[in-house]
Amino acid sequence: MRRVNVWKMLFVALVSAILLAGCSSEESGGTSEKENSGKSASGKDQELVIAVNENFISMDPHNTGDTNSNSVQTAMLEGLLGSDEEGQIIPQLAEEYSVSDDALEYSFKLRQGVTFHDGESFNAEAVKTSFERIMNDESLRLNSRGFNLITSIDVIDDYQVKVTLKEPYAGMLTRFVSAKILSPKLINDSSGDIGKTPVGTGPFKFVEWVQGDHLTVERFDDYWNKADRVKKITYKPVPENGSRVAMLKTGEAHVIYPAPVQNLKELESNSDVEIHKIPSTIARYVSINTMKEPYDDVRIRQAINYAVNKEAFISVVNSGYGLPLDSIIPSKTQFYSKQETYDHNIEKAKELMKEAGFEDGFNAEIWGNTNSDTLKGMQFIQQQLKEIGITVEIKSMEEGTLSDEIYGAQTPEEAKVQMWYVSWSAYPSDTTNATKPLFSSSSFPPDGANTAYYKNDDVDKWITEVNQTADPDKQAEIYSNIQSTIYKDAPWIFLGVDEILAGSRSNVEGVFISPTGGINVTDANLK
Amino acid sequence: MLQYILKRILEMIPILFIVSILIFFFTHLIPGDPARLVAGKDATLEEVNIIRAELGLDKPIWDQYITYMSNLFQGDLGTSLKTGLPVSEMFADRFMPSIYLTFMSMGWALVLGLLIGTLSAVFKNKWPDYLGMVTAVSGISMPGFWLGLILIQIFSVKLGWFPTGGAESWKSYILPSLTLGAGIMSMLARFTRSSLLETLRADFIRTGRAKGLKESVVIPKHALRNSLIPVVTIAGLQFGFLLGGSVVVETVFSFPGMGRLLIDSIAFRDYPVIQAELLLFSIEFILVNLIVDIMYSMLNPKIRYVS
Repeated sequence: MRRVNVWKMLFVALVSAILLAGCSSEESGGTSEKENSGKSASGKDQELVIAVNENFISMDPHNTGDTNSNSVQTAMLEGLLGSDEEGQIIPQLAEEYSVSDDALEYSFKLRQGVTFHDGESFNAEAVKTSFERIMNDESLRLNSRGFNLITSIDVIDDYQVKVTLKEPYAGMLTRFVSAKILSPKLINDSSGDIGKTPVGTGPFKFVEWVQGDHLTVERFDDYWNKADRVKKITYKPVPENGSRVAMLKTGEAHVIYPAPVQNLKELESNSDVEIHKIPSTIARYVSINTMKEPYDDVRIRQAINYAVNKEAFISVVNSGYGLPLDSIIPSKTQFYSKQETYDHNIEKAKELMKEAGFEDGFNAEIWGNTNSDTLKGMQFIQQQLKEIGITVEIKSMEEGTLSDEIYGAQTPEEAKVQMWYVSWSAYPSDTTNATKPLFSSSSFPPDGANTAYYKNDDVDKWITEVNQTADPDKQAEIYSNIQSTIYKDAPWIFLGVDEILAGSRSNVEGVFISPTGGINVTDANLK
Repeated sequence: MLQYILKRILEMIPILFIVSILIFFFTHLIPGDPARLVAGKDATLEEVNIIRAELGLDKPIWDQYITYMSNLFQGDLGTSLKTGLPVSEMFADRFMPSIYLTFMSMGWALVLGLLIGTLSAVFKNKWPDYLGMVTAVSGISMPGFWLGLILIQIFSVKLGWFPTGGAESWKSYILPSLTLGAGIMSMLARFTRSSLLETLRADFIRTGRAKGLKESVVIPKHALRNSLIPVVTIAGLQFGFLLGGSVVVETVFSFPGMGRLLIDSIAFRDYPVIQAELLLFSIEFILVNLIVDIMYSMLNPKIRYVS
């Protein structure tokens, strides 16, 4: 009896300790809850927290390819040109710009009275220093596309610069947007630190970056465009969807990007939260190897397109968020022209299959990565194509392996890919990047992403031609031809265009998400 | 004892050498070309080749290995292919949070596991035993991912006691460490229970009780101490796994630790980071094993190591 009593007492003591601990944390918890709600409701708190889904890779604007790093850089750094809410090009550090008719000379008139975060003045020499870094630094080769075509950067006077190219490059204006201008002092003194501590002219200056945890920027009070802004912005990489949603609900984060589709209803019912739906430039498609039998017959490719219900794709795979892909480029891309879509028509699809001699269908293979959404998409295609007798086998591969399989083929004959479930995203202002790597015959893997091995002499000619002119009307005309021709040739199953989803607390102002998923905080404020 | 420890540390050198070779070659065997992944989908072959050369990936694998090893001997872990930052710098921010998280998880697991296990054994087949074992079974069966999200929902969203993620204050560590420690806590509770039950049936316990020793002396001093050896083994092994196995928990709680870094690096084929991190885990694993062996002899003086 005595033995049990001792242990009973111990047990009671343990339970009491746990309860006491619970009570004491309730007290402190109460405070933190108040703090949280205060953060989002009072409007006096000047710190904005943005939770994104991935880590930032580098803060070197001349060596960055990922959207999240770009977003943060945009808060601190500016280019001669910037982009607006629609993703279209606007003047930024340049007040005006012009392009010569032969698309070889770009002249910029610079904004005066702009200073860098380190006190250096912004002028034509600063532009030259940054541009020369992009051109000359070997390690930035990947991001110097366009800049390797520059023959000279002429400083006309303190606030005028002229850039000359050796051959026309239609994506050059977009390259000027990404070529953020860094403080010349930073470039000359300590190029090793650019990736960690960038210095630019943006509305916010760099404070701290703890890898994998957070990156903080602070308002730059000498910014040329005076306006009310939050004092501090902290960016946090939060890969788990549920955690990001929880942060938005508690007010720990003011903006989350992306907002997960599965939590939208729950978030929409919360009066403190707003959901933003932005049509993107992310095209979802399946590339069809046009050099492989039976896909080399355009009727088969068209039949496949007629067999797939795009509306159903959006509701099943994208949970209803998205738009049908009604051209080879999304509608937010410059020079987009709408095409007559392949409406869901099983009879027509079967007819085309019969004409092509495949009345009874055939066996096919579709490749994709291991992402659960990709898998869902491939299963959807599998189910849809079954209706016209095509039996699709799904091959799901980890991204690195898949990349090896796709780009390992040195010639079209070596390529094993039949269909690839994939997506593509280009800057809204860069139609070249949305077309050339995907449809030019010079872009067959491993030289580009034309995984449909699509070859059309007219299209090849137009793609070259459109790059050689600076006349927007002429470009629009050529792009219209390119779009209608390729859409008819159906080297892809044209599926959909994603809608980007972001969430914010209702007191957030002046933050917008661009069609590429970039977060712009130039005018960020809290009500 | 000191001699034994020294000998074990010296033995680590050839082991680590072999491990480093295995890590290097296995890492390079994973399919996927880092240069292509760095370059992106729209890169031309020429661009990919330039990057491959810049990263030194165009050299024969033996060359790359020799460079890797000679850098390693000079204490240089290499430069990340993805971020361009020195690997050691990338570790600097993440290593300590991971260590704190691991220790805290192990702390919960040990304290709660031993307590629940002991109480269950002492109150065998009574309600504390049932309650303890139900807790233990739940702890083992609940996936960390799910448990983490539930804890966030209750303690962060509903009650607002703890932040949902990050590693900014001690509060940030509570939920992830509980999540991470839950499985081991349960395992330790079950092992402690069965080991203690066995010891309580032993002759020396009966003798002790017959001699009139108090229960408060018999249980902690005689029974528990002797039951701990299998428990220490399990705890040691699990501790090794904890160091590298916290990927899921680190993801759920957006915790800036080593586990998440490893997963990100594998996806990107960031060879230098993968290699350095695996090597670090191996060293940690070997060290933990050594500590476990030393603890054996502290718990049971009959176990003595001779060099």
